[in-house]
Amino acid sequence: MRLSLLLMAFGGTLMQSSLVPSLSMGGVTPDLPLIVTALLALRRGPEAGCVVGFVAGLLQDAAGGGLLGVQAATRAIGGFAMGLLPGRFWIDHPLVQVPGLILLTVADGLLRFGLLQLFHFPASLGELLTRVILPQALYNGFLGAACLLAIEGVQALRRRHTWI
Amino acid sequence: MLRFRRYALLLAVLLTSLLLLTVQTRGGGPVRAHDLVAFVLTPVQSLLTRAHRGALSVWSTYAEWKAVRTDNLALHAENDRLRVQALQALETEQENRRLRRLVTLRDRLPLTTLAGEIIGREGGGWARSVTVNRGQRDGIVQQTPVIVPEGLVGRVAQVQSGASVVQLLNDPASTVGAVVQRKRTAGLVEGAPGGGLRFKFMARDGAGVAPGDLIVTSGLGTLFPKGIPVGRVAAIEDKGSALFHFAVLAPAVDFARVEEVLLLTGQTSRDVAGLFSPDG
Repeated sequence: MRLSLLLMAFGGTLMQSSLVPSLSMGGVTPDLPLIVTALLALRRGPEAGCVVGFVAGLLQDAAGGGLLGVQAATRAIGGFAMGLLPGRFWIDHPLVQVPGLILLTVADGLLRFGLLQLFHFPASLGELLTRVILPQALYNGFLGAACLLAIEGVQALRRRHTWI
Repeated sequence: MLRFRRYALLLAVLLTSLLLLTVQTRGGGPVRAHDLVAFVLTPVQSLLTRAHRGALSVWSTYAEWKAVRTDNLALHAENDRLRVQALQALETEQENRRLRRLVTLRDRLPLTTLAGEIIGREGGGWARSVTVNRGQRDGIVQQTPVIVPEGLVGRVAQVQSGASVVQLLNDPASTVGAVVQRKRTAGLVEGAPGGGLRFKFMARDGAGVAPGDLIVTSGLGTLFPKGIPVGRVAAIEDKGSALFHFAVLAPAVDFARVEEVLLLTGQTSRDVAGLFSPDG
């Protein structure tokens, strides 16, 4: 199970750096590792969310050439927090999961900005929020909904055909 | 215990991140870490990118093929439409030409005429006739001669209120008084059972009838004006000492292709041969 989680984190990061740029719309790209982290955390709990978020964030830090550990920390916190939601909130419905993903993206962006402030990150929060974080949050929500639909479809297929 | 483990994991992860950040800010550490991650990621990344490009290429080829197919279908449809339009234009042009010739003839003829359109045909062999969309309401009476710019078509055999049945010259029961235009040899043009025409003439008068001679209406009697082309002599059937000889005629009019006609509602004693163009 742990290996599969790591593979998902690894795969998500690889796709983010190779395939996702072609999904760019107006300069905004979705954050696939974050979507993977959120959806996994909602299904597998805070530990899985934390580990996958950390590994995915670390890989993204490394692949992006920035400070190693920033996204690792924010994704780990985000994954952990998302993993705590089941049981406290009713999160089974996509109408809850998708807004949750949008909020997580915003929270992740704010946390990342806060952490980078420790290292004198130059950009202003307002600009980042309007140009990067919110558009990406919406895109993540849209892609997350598509992923959920796909997962739902696969699960329905599996229920119908046990051999899948 | 489980909750403790959870938070311990989170704490460990955060501490690792902070440690990494601290090491980097102090200098040195991150380069190696970056190198390590790049060493693992780069080959897989390039493989994935290549696969992605391949998939995109396949997709774009498929999209192009689909676009070409759509274009092809659209072009086929347009081609069909244009063909139909071209045929319609050709048909209109031919009709226009026929009507113009008909109108020219009508304007030249020294008698009143009425233009009509063929709306039906009967050609079983027992009778050969066409139906024209002119009848009693238009003042048409029985025996009205029917012509086209090439020559004589026949005569009205039956009149209805809005249409008339025209007995064609090649009907087996049709007989028209005619002369050889060049020699003025008189005879009768009859319809042959096979659909052709033959000119029956007295042998003693017909010594000079030769293939190629134009046969026109004689104008004897009051039915047909004088000089309407009927056909050309194609061959002479010489029966030796028989009283009558027959000449096989090539009709001046292609009865199968007639579409518009003139019905001669008036009379004239003038020779109208010069107004026709029997060879089309």
